[in-house]
Amino acid sequence: MKILVTVKRVIDYNVKVRVKADQSDVDLANVKMAMNPFCEIAVEAAVRLKEAGIATEIVAVSVGPSACQEQIRTALALGADRGIQIDTAELPESLVVAKLLAAVVAAEQPDLVILGKQSIDADNNQTGQMLAALLDWPQATFASALALQEGCLEVTREIDGGLQTLSLALPAIVTTDLRLNEPRYASLPNIMKAKKKPLEVRTPAELGVVLKAHTRLLKVEAPAERQGGIKVGSVSELVEKLKSEAKVI
Amino acid sequence: MAILVIAEHDNRTLKGATLNTLGAAALLGGEVHLLVAGRSCGAVAAQAAAIPGVSKVLVADAAVYEHQLAENLARLVAALGKTYSHLLAPAGSAGKNLMPRVAALLDVAQLSDIVGVVSPNTFRRPIYAGNAIATVQSLDPVVVATVRASAFDPLPAEGGSAVVESLSAVHDAGTSRFVGEELAKSDRPELGSARIVVSGGRGLGSGENFALLETLADKLGAAVGASRAAVDAGFVANDMQVGQTGKIVAPELYIAVGISGAIQHLAGMKDSKVIVAINKDAEAPIFQIADYGLVADLFEAVPELEKAL
Amino acid sequence: MSDYVHPYRDTEFVLGELVELERFCAEAGLNDVNGELVSAILAEAGRLGSEVLAPLNAVGDTQGARLGERGVEETPGFAGAYGQFVESGWPSLTAAEAWGGQNLPNVVGTAVNEIWHSANMAFALCPMLTQGAIEALAHHGSAELQAAWLPKLVSGEWTGTMNLTEPDAGSDLAAIKARAVPNGDHYLISGQKIFITWGDHQMTDNVVHLVLARLPDAPAGVKGISLFVVPKFLLDAQGRPGARNDAQCVSLEHKLGIHGSPTCVMSFGEKEGAVGYLVGEPHKGLACMFTMMNHARQSVGLQGLSISERAYQQARQYARERLQGTRKDGSRFPIIEFPDVRRMLLQMKASIEAMRALALVAAAEVDRTAHAPDPAACARHQGRVDLLTPIVKGWLTELAQEVTSLGVQIHGGMGFIEETGAARHYRDARILTIYEGTTGIQALDLVGRKTLLNKGELLGDLLDEIGETVARLESAGPFAAQARALGEALAAGREARRLLLEGAEADAALAGSVSVNFLMLFGYLCGGWLMARSALRAQALLETGGDRAFLEAKLVTARFYCEQLLPRTQALLAAIRAGSGSIMALSDEQF
Repeated sequence: MKILVTVKRVIDYNVKVRVKADQSDVDLANVKMAMNPFCEIAVEAAVRLKEAGIATEIVAVSVGPSACQEQIRTALALGADRGIQIDTAELPESLVVAKLLAAVVAAEQPDLVILGKQSIDADNNQTGQMLAALLDWPQATFASALALQEGCLEVTREIDGGLQTLSLALPAIVTTDLRLNEPRYASLPNIMKAKKKPLEVRTPAELGVVLKAHTRLLKVEAPAERQGGIKVGSVSELVEKLKSEAKVI
Repeated sequence: MAILVIAEHDNRTLKGATLNTLGAAALLGGEVHLLVAGRSCGAVAAQAAAIPGVSKVLVADAAVYEHQLAENLARLVAALGKTYSHLLAPAGSAGKNLMPRVAALLDVAQLSDIVGVVSPNTFRRPIYAGNAIATVQSLDPVVVATVRASAFDPLPAEGGSAVVESLSAVHDAGTSRFVGEELAKSDRPELGSARIVVSGGRGLGSGENFALLETLADKLGAAVGASRAAVDAGFVANDMQVGQTGKIVAPELYIAVGISGAIQHLAGMKDSKVIVAINKDAEAPIFQIADYGLVADLFEAVPELEKAL
Repeated sequence: MSDYVHPYRDTEFVLGELVELERFCAEAGLNDVNGELVSAILAEAGRLGSEVLAPLNAVGDTQGARLGERGVEETPGFAGAYGQFVESGWPSLTAAEAWGGQNLPNVVGTAVNEIWHSANMAFALCPMLTQGAIEALAHHGSAELQAAWLPKLVSGEWTGTMNLTEPDAGSDLAAIKARAVPNGDHYLISGQKIFITWGDHQMTDNVVHLVLARLPDAPAGVKGISLFVVPKFLLDAQGRPGARNDAQCVSLEHKLGIHGSPTCVMSFGEKEGAVGYLVGEPHKGLACMFTMMNHARQSVGLQGLSISERAYQQARQYARERLQGTRKDGSRFPIIEFPDVRRMLLQMKASIEAMRALALVAAAEVDRTAHAPDPAACARHQGRVDLLTPIVKGWLTELAQEVTSLGVQIHGGMGFIEETGAARHYRDARILTIYEGTTGIQALDLVGRKTLLNKGELLGDLLDEIGETVARLESAGPFAAQARALGEALAAGREARRLLLEGAEADAALAGSVSVNFLMLFGYLCGGWLMARSALRAQALLETGGDRAFLEAKLVTARFYCEQLLPRTQALLAAIRAGSGSIMALSDEQF
């Protein structure tokens, strides 16, 4: 079984993001970047399937400028076999990313594509679903458990109110949620070996995809600051404030 | 211009988030239709028809729609979508699962989790865990979006009488199958739409101790939530998680008990009208956004609070 | 969020701009090593440090180790962390490929080790001591000994300890009494060793003690000491840990700090005698120790940097958040806006950046020695290693006392309260000027073997190189004030060297009397030298783009160092100039 796993280069989740003074975007200059946490979970899921003898090859794909090769190398260090960077000057919208990925899927013919459910920068939660639509493959989003049954994939998903289990015919799309697994740390020997694993660069033109803009970003603002409140000295004072001042009970 | 809202329901009851999404739809101007797709969902269709502001309810009642499988539903919505200017769904797990698939079938972008309508083609939405708000303009002929329910006032549930139209098209992609589900059974209000939320963090120490919060919640008629730390520690189920990657809530009153206030948690609740924090660590970041902070041992303060109400 | 984050930007700056790592690797034929690989390594090590090791720091301090029935029980959680550490292959970073190592340069190992010691110094002492055992065996062990012990020490599957000190023999190793008696193909060791770091624990299947002991026919003094491998468990025929050896931890010390590191009294030979195997030649034990001394001493210096960085991150965060000022309009502001608090923070920052530069540059000299193209270059770089090592150990650890103290001070009253952790860093730092050779020992080494013995030639070369930097500063435009400051410090260094060389023969007490001030002077001078080079590089990078915020901060920090730390060289020179007179004038009774 061949698995395609996608990884995105995003701001490190510890970094507090700042909006640019001209409100054109968020300030990413010289900010620490890392692999999107949900993509880490996706890579881990793929690697565990390989360790279980179910997957035979893992291909890690990233879309963006050459800096994202760093994240592909990390995926290789974690256990992916090959990497593909789809070179774009900026990060395209989800639909375009899905089209680029669909082209790679057509070339690579994986049985399973695993993506993170959302990236912590744009918080869109779209790419996996869009890719599934373009390929007309079944999808299981927000996965918290995966099990391969006879030629189909049983996925437990986190939904409002609880858990749902679906059975998908392969090939299929899965997007990962937090509780699917706890990603491993890359080992030093594997970081060294990752340098030698193949990483090819493809372009949108080669893949036959036009980078079309479907939206325009007009402005990025900081959210309204919530003012700090007061400390109360006792439970009775709290109840008093909630009743008479805040009037919420 | 006509707007189609995809109802969120469980085949028996229409979920409150649908009313908020309709509230967002109402801001766009134009006719508002509501799609109820499910199985044996007549009751939901009736509830839908009673919403003032909805001029038509489309009902797709078939076995293939029973569990809202995206592969089937997306084909249905995409087929309908060609005649609408806007396709909206609440940004719950169902809407998030479905709408991007619909958008891709229509070859348009999807806007996730909108929190404001600037104009019929321009919306505001949170990015970077809500640390920034983006204003985005759609360049597509159809706007496909999911709507953050807590950001919009709901339409009333009664007083309307919409036309109800049955749809006969049955879309069965045949590639996915519902196997089962485990839903938390609770008499408490739903976390996403409760007026009051009592939330617990790692400070509770164990799943058993969450009973303290449940007693308090029962007194207040509140829902119970949790921080990611509490969920990861196994104290409570995943679907109680409030945070950037869990549920986003904006109740009138949010009581954070034993929660330190990591940025990712704040992203899930900072739009609450009133925030109360109870924590024995005076330096916990949650106090910076709490309207009322009580530095105390929660094991004493929470029972005391419950008695005082 | 963890309270330690690897300061990757500064490390990458030092490796790129001062060490010039990529160029070195290319010239040395280390084709696999480049900036991208090192960044990936540091990023992953940083994550493990922040997410796994750092959170165990507090529990290591409050719970520490205890002696139970089966031996030393280490801090709860340490075993799991150690398991992850080993599984991820970190112990083997610099080891030779023949033993399963990654064969990465020493300077890369040093950069990574900074992370372990910042994240959790008590924990990191375990692999650090193992490193010493590895080096002793790698340099001096027979092929048989190496094959039996090295692979698992390198992988971290077993840990190692260094057993030198005895109740009566600390700085004066010649006084050790532990004995080794020949017994067939091995020896039986008996005696007691104290202050043995990580002498016992339950994290691994075996602990490999390296023990200094005297053979029956040993000459007196330092020339009669031999080195032995004394394992906790003897190996069976398959090379696996088998029978328990007669080596026990009989008590644990209650220390001021690094509670998470079990400091053991080891008793060898309470029954029949502990089985031990000779490492290297009989009576050549101290020579074996000397081979690893440079690395061990630089490692402790690195600990000074690491604990300072940890203290700084905490103090910085506190200063940004602690509201203790009120403006006229009633709004409050954090203490970082007070000039004196900024001064303290900047002093911590400037000290740390100078320390990091010196630690990495010195570590790189070890690599340059190993890969030198010819014997002359090799000798030159070895000489630089020999000279810098006591400075790295002595100066970085002494400065760490001041930096961790400032960390407490910035916290105000909360700094004195254990819970915030600032006090812990202050306590943990205190051992650094003591073990692995006290500051006094380092200083004697610097003035004696490293200066007087070669008539100041090594020091002269260093001073000339610093002079070149002064010249570059003078011609670089915006650095006139810094050129002056470094030039004055350089002159103080030259003068101190002259005073020592000219006065030592006539006055036997001179070298010892001035040694520590001498060491500190050269520490500040070397720090200033490297900060000046950093400023020149930062300026150049700014002119072609680059990370403005970081580079501008580097320029200001370098300027602060020149203005506030370099002048200390003048005070130290004055003290050196005063010689040994007053120091030796009192009789013992007059104290």
